[in-house]
Amino acid sequence: MSEIIATLKKDYIYSLMVKEKRQDGRGFKEFRDLKLETNVISKAEGSAKVTLGNTQVLVGVKLQTGTPFPDSQDEGVIITNLELNPIASPEFEPGPPREEAIEMARVVDRGIRESGAIDIKKLCITVGESVWIVFIDIHILNDDGNIIDASCLAAIAALMTTVVPNEQQGLGENVPLAMKEMPVGITLAKIGSKLMVDPSLDEEAVCETKLTIVSSSDGSVAGMQKMGPAPLTEAELFEAIDLAIEKATEIRELYLEGLAKSE
Amino acid sequence: MSDKPEKLIADDGLRLDGRRADEIRPMKIEIGVLSRADGSCYLEWGRNKILVGVFGPREAHPRRSQRADSAVIRYRYNMASFSVEDRARPGPSRRSIEISKVSREAFEPVIMAEMFPKTAIDIFVEVLQADAGTRTAAINASSIALADAGIPMKGLITSCAFGKVDGQIVLDLNKEEDNYGEADFPVAMTQDGEITLVQMDGHLTPEEIKKGMELVKKGCKEILEIQQAVLRKKFETPVDEIPEVATGAEKEGGKEEAVPASELAPEVVVEEAFEEAEELGAEISEEPSEADILSSEVVPDFEEELEEDIELEEDIEEEFETEEEFEAEEEEFEEEALEEEAEFEAESEEDLEEDLEEDLGEELEEEEFEEEALEEEAEFEASFEGTPELKEFEEIEARLEKETASREAEEEIELGSETEEPSEEETSSEEEAEVEEEVEVEEEAEVEETTASEEAIEPEREAESEAETTEVSTEEAEAEEPEEEKSEGPWKVVKDPSEAGTRGEKDE
Repeated sequence: MSEIIATLKKDYIYSLMVKEKRQDGRGFKEFRDLKLETNVISKAEGSAKVTLGNTQVLVGVKLQTGTPFPDSQDEGVIITNLELNPIASPEFEPGPPREEAIEMARVVDRGIRESGAIDIKKLCITVGESVWIVFIDIHILNDDGNIIDASCLAAIAALMTTVVPNEQQGLGENVPLAMKEMPVGITLAKIGSKLMVDPSLDEEAVCETKLTIVSSSDGSVAGMQKMGPAPLTEAELFEAIDLAIEKATEIRELYLEGLAKSE
Repeated sequence: MSDKPEKLIADDGLRLDGRRADEIRPMKIEIGVLSRADGSCYLEWGRNKILVGVFGPREAHPRRSQRADSAVIRYRYNMASFSVEDRARPGPSRRSIEISKVSREAFEPVIMAEMFPKTAIDIFVEVLQADAGTRTAAINASSIALADAGIPMKGLITSCAFGKVDGQIVLDLNKEEDNYGEADFPVAMTQDGEITLVQMDGHLTPEEIKKGMELVKKGCKEILEIQQAVLRKKFETPVDEIPEVATGAEKEGGKEEAVPASELAPEVVVEEAFEEAEELGAEISEEPSEADILSSEVVPDFEEELEEDIELEEDIEEEFETEEEFEAEEEEFEEEALEEEAEFEAESEEDLEEDLEEDLGEELEEEEFEEEALEEEAEFEASFEGTPELKEFEEIEARLEKETASREAEEEIELGSETEEPSEEETSSEEEAEVEEEVEVEEEAEVEETTASEEAIEPEREAESEAETTEVSTEEAEAEEPEEEKSEGPWKVVKDPSEAGTRGEKDE
């Protein structure tokens, strides 16, 4: 994913960083314009599209019945898949998912799973025999940096608008998917000694490492992943956690709480 | 799958396997368990069984995967299908691909990949038996295997996880705790505590994370000590074996020039030098700082090593140019060792030419130190006269002195015209060079000690005097070169011992 970036541009971004500035004039704690649309695909049980600057991510949720895992007989199954569609960047190629795609999908998945966002006990139809399987398919339509935060937000928004198609299976009325939590993922890029939220494509290319932190509404952390080769100090880790929780609370209030009420 | 036990932590604070919250599971490490791999390690941690093989630096295939400016590091984490309760499907899973990626990134900050452009360093991890914490166990094992393979690293990577069980923060989760616990937080860090891997899932407050990080640091420190002890055990040669090595090598003649020197683990050399030092108290006491250190700090402890690491990292960039030279020489040396002596001569002649060309610029400075270094050398050689167990040296010593004199003379000629070759001397002096090397090794060990004492002048002198020997004869310089690198921090453990291992094996 790291696009080749001219040394000049790298120097430019670093020199800006020293002056506490960013290429597009944002502050270190500032997101690009963020837009969330839900119910964009009527065929899907739930869907959401997030536009973050020029980054566009579309998430569709489909539900199917299937058998539960042997170690969790009364629980539904969550399967998250992320596709780096070749439409999104000249860097992406068709074919089996690359490790970045797998990693990001699993980070989103862990955030949703570990925060207990979905009440998976309510997805059980018959214990040990039949449960709902929730497929969260993340499509990257345009990669202009920070697709992971956009994916996290789109995924949770899509789940919040998902309807369980009971009628289709003759199981009674359709009901909204039971949700318990609203995890929000925030990615911080470490450039030089600074941490900045919502890295743009160029910032992602020059940053030393990224840290994604998924946090819940109670201010706890549900998932974390360091992505990239450079090390982090412990102080940076703690700084990142505080910053991510702060930003996640902001985004949750602005975008997700309205969705929760409208249901 | 067993049902959740009622309590994962008993009322007296003991966990299911009898550990306290801040204790890691027992760890057992074996090095060099695979003969075909360049470095390998078998690690048992609790009920985890991990096998790691390291290959390379070797040519990277496919070619488009090569990098012009550094080696590519490849890390493959693979679970054996029988390693878990329900058979795992063989081949890479999404989980193992993710673990491979983050583990590779955990090593990227320490592996000095820029020394080996266009090559690949492959780390293959096989999880033979899994019992929670396999990725951390695999990283700990890989760190050892990389050291065993002689891959230059800025330090070892250690890894350990913490988690939350029954509402308590505990170190190094076992399978039950992992299954029924509330959070898992694997971390990998460098020797200086920089975090190179962080993952987390579960439910933790920022305060719990801070508490857990304290535990992880403690755990990693313990693991680092285990890793270092294991590496020392393999690469240290017991003190009483050293004279045997010296005589053996002398009898066998020139075929194994570098073996004795490189077999001497730096710590041992230090100890040997210490023994000598007691006998030679008079000479040493001329430099009181050296004597002080010799008597007080024979084996540097953990924290000092950390300090050295930091120093080393700073030095590395400065010395980089020289390292490249050494690297080149190293490769040449390995080739040469396999070839006939005639070819060897021819090649080393070429090398010498190159070296001279490169070194000419620095020569003016070095000449100043030459005298000093030679005097020191002579002093040392003289000091062996008294020691009864080193009678072999006495014979050679006389020749050595002539040698030194003739070399000085030859050097002057060389400086005048680069084409002149000391090839004749090389063949005839192979034996002596070896012995002299021994002497110098010991001498260096002392300088080494002073290096640890934070004296700025000493390491400089060491470097210079070695640079000087580089000119004297290529062969000697090559034998010398691992020693030079030995003189600092983590390389003591990492680079040279493995050099000794691989060279020793291959040469035999």
